[in-house]
Amino acid sequence: MKKFTKEMVDDYADKLLIGLTEEENQMVLDEFNIIDESMELLTKIPNISSVPPMTHALDDFTYVLREDDAEESLPIEDILKNCDNYEDREVVVPRIVGEAHE
Amino acid sequence: MNEYKAVIGLEMHCELKSNAKVFSGAKNAYDVVPNVNVSPVDLGLPGVLPTVNKECVKKALMMSLVLNCTQPEELYFDRKNYYYPDLPKGYQITQMHAPVGINGKIKIDMGDYVKEVLIHDIHLEEDSASLEHYSDASLINYNRAGVPLLELVTEPCFSSAMEAVKFLEYMTLVYKYCDVSDADTKKGQIRCDVNVSIMGKDDKVLGTKVEIKNVNSFANVYEAINYEIKRQSELKMANRYDEVLQETRRFDEESGTTKRMRSKVDAIDYKYFVEPNIPKYKISKEYLQSIKEKIPLLPLERKEKYVGELGLSVKDANIIIKNKDYANYFEECINLGIDAKVAANWLIVQILGFLNKMDISIQDFYLKPELLKQIISSLEEGKISSKQAKEIFNKSISEEKEPKNYITNDNEQISDRDKLLGVITNILENNKEQIKNYFLGKTNLFDYFVGQVMKETKGKANPSLVKVLLNEELLKYKEK
Amino acid sequence: MNKTIEELHAMLQNEEITSEELVKEALEKSHYVQKYCNAFVTIMDDAKGGKVTDSLLSGIPFGIKDNYATKGILTTGSSNTLKNYVPVFSATAILNLEKHGAIPVNKTTMDEFGMGGTGTTGHTGNVYNPWDLKRMCAGSSAGSAAAVAAGVYPFALGSDTGDSIRKPAAFTGIVGYKPTYGMISRYGLFPFASSLDHCGCLTRSVKDAAIVVDAMKGIDAKDETTWDSKDIHLYESLDGNVSNKKLFYIKEIANIDNYKEASEELREHLKNFHAKLDLLRKKGVTIDEVSFDEKLLNAIPSVYICLSCAEATSNMSNLTGIIFGERGAGDNYHDMIKDYRTHGFSSLIKRRFVIGSYILQKENQEKYFVNAQRIRRLIVDKMKELFQTYDGLILPVSVGGAPYIDGSRDYITNSETKVLEEHLQIGNFGGFPSITIPSGFINGLPVGLNITGNCYDDANVLNMAYALEEEMPYKNQIAKIKEDENERV
Repeated sequence: MKKFTKEMVDDYADKLLIGLTEEENQMVLDEFNIIDESMELLTKIPNISSVPPMTHALDDFTYVLREDDAEESLPIEDILKNCDNYEDREVVVPRIVGEAHE
Repeated sequence: MNEYKAVIGLEMHCELKSNAKVFSGAKNAYDVVPNVNVSPVDLGLPGVLPTVNKECVKKALMMSLVLNCTQPEELYFDRKNYYYPDLPKGYQITQMHAPVGINGKIKIDMGDYVKEVLIHDIHLEEDSASLEHYSDASLINYNRAGVPLLELVTEPCFSSAMEAVKFLEYMTLVYKYCDVSDADTKKGQIRCDVNVSIMGKDDKVLGTKVEIKNVNSFANVYEAINYEIKRQSELKMANRYDEVLQETRRFDEESGTTKRMRSKVDAIDYKYFVEPNIPKYKISKEYLQSIKEKIPLLPLERKEKYVGELGLSVKDANIIIKNKDYANYFEECINLGIDAKVAANWLIVQILGFLNKMDISIQDFYLKPELLKQIISSLEEGKISSKQAKEIFNKSISEEKEPKNYITNDNEQISDRDKLLGVITNILENNKEQIKNYFLGKTNLFDYFVGQVMKETKGKANPSLVKVLLNEELLKYKEK
Repeated sequence: MNKTIEELHAMLQNEEITSEELVKEALEKSHYVQKYCNAFVTIMDDAKGGKVTDSLLSGIPFGIKDNYATKGILTTGSSNTLKNYVPVFSATAILNLEKHGAIPVNKTTMDEFGMGGTGTTGHTGNVYNPWDLKRMCAGSSAGSAAAVAAGVYPFALGSDTGDSIRKPAAFTGIVGYKPTYGMISRYGLFPFASSLDHCGCLTRSVKDAAIVVDAMKGIDAKDETTWDSKDIHLYESLDGNVSNKKLFYIKEIANIDNYKEASEELREHLKNFHAKLDLLRKKGVTIDEVSFDEKLLNAIPSVYICLSCAEATSNMSNLTGIIFGERGAGDNYHDMIKDYRTHGFSSLIKRRFVIGSYILQKENQEKYFVNAQRIRRLIVDKMKELFQTYDGLILPVSVGGAPYIDGSRDYITNSETKVLEEHLQIGNFGGFPSITIPSGFINGLPVGLNITGNCYDDANVLNMAYALEEEMPYKNQIAKIKEDENERV
């Protein structure tokens, strides 16, 4: 059985809201086998489950948290210059129905 | 229906009070005008980085301590990744791996009994933008994007809608007491998710858990839970329990029912991972201690003190703790040496009555505890009558003048024996005829003499003293 | 413009030349280089000369990689998704340079959002190597490398997530330096993989790199990963005195015996590298061959792919075409975003995203992503242990000179030289200061070597590079574009 299928690749892509052409899908499939092989290398290093994952570039880093001072808002008019669809001060999107997160 | 028991858990989101947002310097404030409190960070413009607001961390840790949680050694955050138009970055910065608090518990007053509610975790995160839906489009307002949120997750430990709502109400009060949030449900500062399952009385395992998202008032929480218990119980009774699915539903206010949103199968994989742009921040014991010292006495603790130590009735104590400012007012009175019951009585009857009538808050109320004390002391010393006390109370408020002004200059009772004697002998000297008649049997003339004294002293004479003195003096005439 | 920053500064102060003239020359040179190398997304033809002060950078033109946000100036990240995006704020590093009086004259082409190592995935097309127009500059800071190498100006900004400053520097015969993580603020740098992303610069000499980073660096309230470096003065610490310094190279990477199928080029490259080590030894540097756990070394490229792709998928989730970017088509938000992303991203990025998506899936995360983070720590810990003994790691960059553009695909492959090609990623894993300097030519193409040291030890790393640079004739070399070779593939 093939480890990766076209459908799986499309599914991974879809979760990031991107579509792939047939050609791109095929390229990913080709690459995936190599990647998977090299990913397997990660699982071959012995006794690593006790190693704390390195999530930041610098460990033992100290810093101060930001003071709670409010600053001037950026004028929304300036920001909306980069926006293709807005109405007055607000960004417009197609009507959203019946979903929620959190 | 009651052959099943319900198992309920809550997720309570509460917007924190702060000057700036949690990960940006934009103002954290409600505004009717859209997009007036925005920074590039809130909009997820390319290249922006989050920075952590100290005040929000402090408040989050305070709540973690209040809830008797375990705090992590290091503060850090995670990204919760999903696409939705109210989430500009495509991820929410939240805490999954190391919330500010885990494994907590807090005592909740359920009325007839006190319940210990178990807290799974409490974590600090950012709010999303708000969406307004119109017939053809939705509009995005980013004022709320990045507003600090505390999410409190309980263990499934409630057995009724009533318990759940009592918990929410109490926590709302606690947030206000600790000054971490205005906790105004009307402004959407408190939002809840509820999960409900039912099980047979003898069942050992929990039933299928159904989650109801974004329930925005406590009344709706109550309704949603009861509807869900009813729905699940009916299916179970009809041997159709397999139709209760592990799914996410929403509460439909109009019909008072819950409606399906998505099933477990469609559950989103949020791909949580540690936010690399916020370095781990060491939480020292000293830092925690300094926060701990700022935690005020909680409502339930105060209630226990009021009833146990100060001898208030449960009913009065409940009224006072309902509002932190009432409780603080009350305690200030106690600190000034006012008798607890007297203070409670004044607060509940006079002050709250006045506040309700005028629709103002106690913070805007002119008569601070030390001014109230002037009235109460005078009353206790017998300088004024309780009727006068009430009049002074009203006068003082309406003219915004200290009560003592009215006590010394105007209303103070004359209880000075010699002073009253002078007035009485004077009156009697000028009413010899009446005295004669009095001794001939017209005893109601006694009241006439009293009236004369009161008239002479403009009503300030101490009436009981006047009666005593008058009796003594009249006797002298009889002897004559 | 073939001068160092110190020389230009002296000329400006002596009024032998004006800033206006320098800017004009840089703009003309930009258009010339654009014609052959396609190195720029934007040339700021309205750039004006500036005031000359005591600051070494005052009045001096420079280039900015197109992933640094520049207020009011198109900033695309070389992506179609942002082809019309004009930032409302400037990156902190840019503001810092502008405070020193430096004058930006163009925005340089890169691999889309820094994801790629060929300089061929930007939305404005391939970047060509000025030493040989059929060849790549590598990437992702391809345009910056081409421009500095071709003498448009003395320096350009780059960013480095895997080797994106240091490899193009090697392939174009110039200096590429990324300082310790957090020394330069990343606020305003379009992210690729935040825990690996570094700002830095490309120059033609170590001293210039020191001057530029001295100006770019500094703690920034907008980037909590920055630290206070006010006691570090890179330029002033360069004295070329390296006696008693200790360096090591990794046996498994730099010893020719490891390569059974070694090409002639690779042999030359490694031979050249070892010859350069002798130059350092003559100056009193001890250089040891150190063996490094091969399992860890072999995992480097996988760790990098895992971490960078995963972080990138999340970092680029803000690219939806809602607040900025050209709106996609679709009557619901999902289709609209998907249309925007499908048409906006290049094929390479999409493929990397799929990997990232796969790695971050709940069921795979522990096995791939978290294990990659663990191996990252093992590698970094090992390096830090070695840095207790040594001042730095010295290694050759890649397998030789720049490859042809034709046939290069940024395709993930397995080969025996993989670690040699990818080892610079160690510098990103640990946030280590790392500098590439030109070390010679093979078949007429420049090659480079790299020195990487411990965090916060930038001055030491730069000084060793400076000492070696002094012993070689490649400082401030400029590529002469062979105009008749203008056949592009």
